[in-house]
Amino acid sequence: MSNVSVRSVDAVPAPLLRAGKFLFDWIPLVILTVLWEYASGTAVPAEILPPPTRVVGEIQELIVSGEVYSHLFTSLFRIGVGLGLSIAVGVLLGIGMARLDPVEDFFEVLLALTYPIPKTALVPLAILWLGVGTETAVLIVFLACLLPIVLNAYNAAENVDKNLVWAAKMMGTDGRQLFRKVVIPATIPEILTGVRQAIPIAFIALVSAELIASDKGIGYLILTAGQVGNYPTMFANIVIISAVAFFAVRGYEILRERVLVWT
Amino acid sequence: MTERTLDGHVSISNLEKVYDDGAERTTAIKDLSFDIEGGEFASIVGPSGCGKSTLLYLVAGFLDETSGSIEVDGDPIDGPGTDRGVVFQDYALFPWRTVMENVTYGLEEQGYTKEERRSRAQKYIDMMDLSGFEDNYPKELSGGMKQRVGLARTLAYDPKILLMDEPFGALDQPLRESLQDQLIDIWGDLDKTVVFVTHDVEEAVYLSDTVMVMTRHPGTKKNVTKVDLDRSQTREAIITSNEFTETKNDVWKSLREETQPEVQP
Repeated sequence: MSNVSVRSVDAVPAPLLRAGKFLFDWIPLVILTVLWEYASGTAVPAEILPPPTRVVGEIQELIVSGEVYSHLFTSLFRIGVGLGLSIAVGVLLGIGMARLDPVEDFFEVLLALTYPIPKTALVPLAILWLGVGTETAVLIVFLACLLPIVLNAYNAAENVDKNLVWAAKMMGTDGRQLFRKVVIPATIPEILTGVRQAIPIAFIALVSAELIASDKGIGYLILTAGQVGNYPTMFANIVIISAVAFFAVRGYEILRERVLVWT
Repeated sequence: MTERTLDGHVSISNLEKVYDDGAERTTAIKDLSFDIEGGEFASIVGPSGCGKSTLLYLVAGFLDETSGSIEVDGDPIDGPGTDRGVVFQDYALFPWRTVMENVTYGLEEQGYTKEERRSRAQKYIDMMDLSGFEDNYPKELSGGMKQRVGLARTLAYDPKILLMDEPFGALDQPLRESLQDQLIDIWGDLDKTVVFVTHDVEEAVYLSDTVMVMTRHPGTKKNVTKVDLDRSQTREAIITSNEFTETKNDVWKSLREETQPEVQP
């Protein structure tokens, strides 16, 4: 009892601590924004580096006019499909490689060789096959996200605690059940880590692909605004997609915490 | 062979286990024969690396013997089976399952209904003083509690033979002692054969009817000591008794020769 009262005198209330940490976390961004505002029009001409206040106005306009939504929706759709496909294929491939030697031998060299290739370098080729548009963008997102997901699933399935498998076997689990009841749950945390790594990669790959060739999407807006010298719009779109990516990752992390209550 | 009244008789004969990784052959166990009666509490002590855990996992059916045989009630074992239950040193609880879900696992596999599973599991959860923690995940438990869950999980599906691999090795002394006493009580009530691997001589003698000392690499049976203690006494009375001290010293000396072969007389 006395312990509790002593602690409550010393400790800063938790909500206050959280608020403090939150403010602290954002200090670098605030400094950067202030410097940017100051540099624009002094160190760098405002035409090529529009100040944040101008960019914010532009973002407001894009949102109010509704112009940005269909492009944002297109970009998010491409990310969703590409990432979804890479999760489905990547998890199967990763676990398959860990459990079956022929699958491992078949894909190991291929994966090692393709890992360092910047996937956006494949855009020109993908355009030849699939044309300019959603298919190409989806393919690039899929390829870029596949490796972190495969590698995490592969590692996890390869390192399932032997004692857990033995414990299940001694209680009568075998074959496919062993897979469902032990291997899958044991690998889920690392699969979800792979997906976490893949989300920002998906945004990078998508915007890059759309910048090279596209008919729609945020990357397309950035490209066209840049080409006509409309830098406030260009920056506005960069800020919008960054914010969306940031909240996508944060949202995903909250979801992951909910799913993995046991870790 | 003596008339046995209980199931769970383990008969090990001429057992040999060789690990072969292609480049090197390592003999872990050689020419080992050992009989454990149904309902007996047998401990295996030996220097580290003598293959005592390997022996336990061979009996569990997790590993395959190179030659020789292991029979349970006259039948050669063929892989893991629900007649044998292992209690692991590192607990090996399923981290994604709550305490209740861990303890019901074996019953789930045997096809009990949900109500039956829960009521059976509850009995062992209560027996292990885990009431109130049914819905906790293993990460939320201390080491001692985790091992009690491990024990409850294995007891719940009612194997005839408990195979325990240094189950209390990671716990501190007071906790070890209380779990040892709990284990003796359970063993007295449940008519199970126990094969208990440990490197702690005092623990082995305190718990067992029989203590087998294994030789250093390659592991084989060195000697078997029968322990005759009146287990109705308190721990203090047993530990301070002459019989206990003498038996413990005998086993200790025998083990000492294996850990320090150069100082043999």
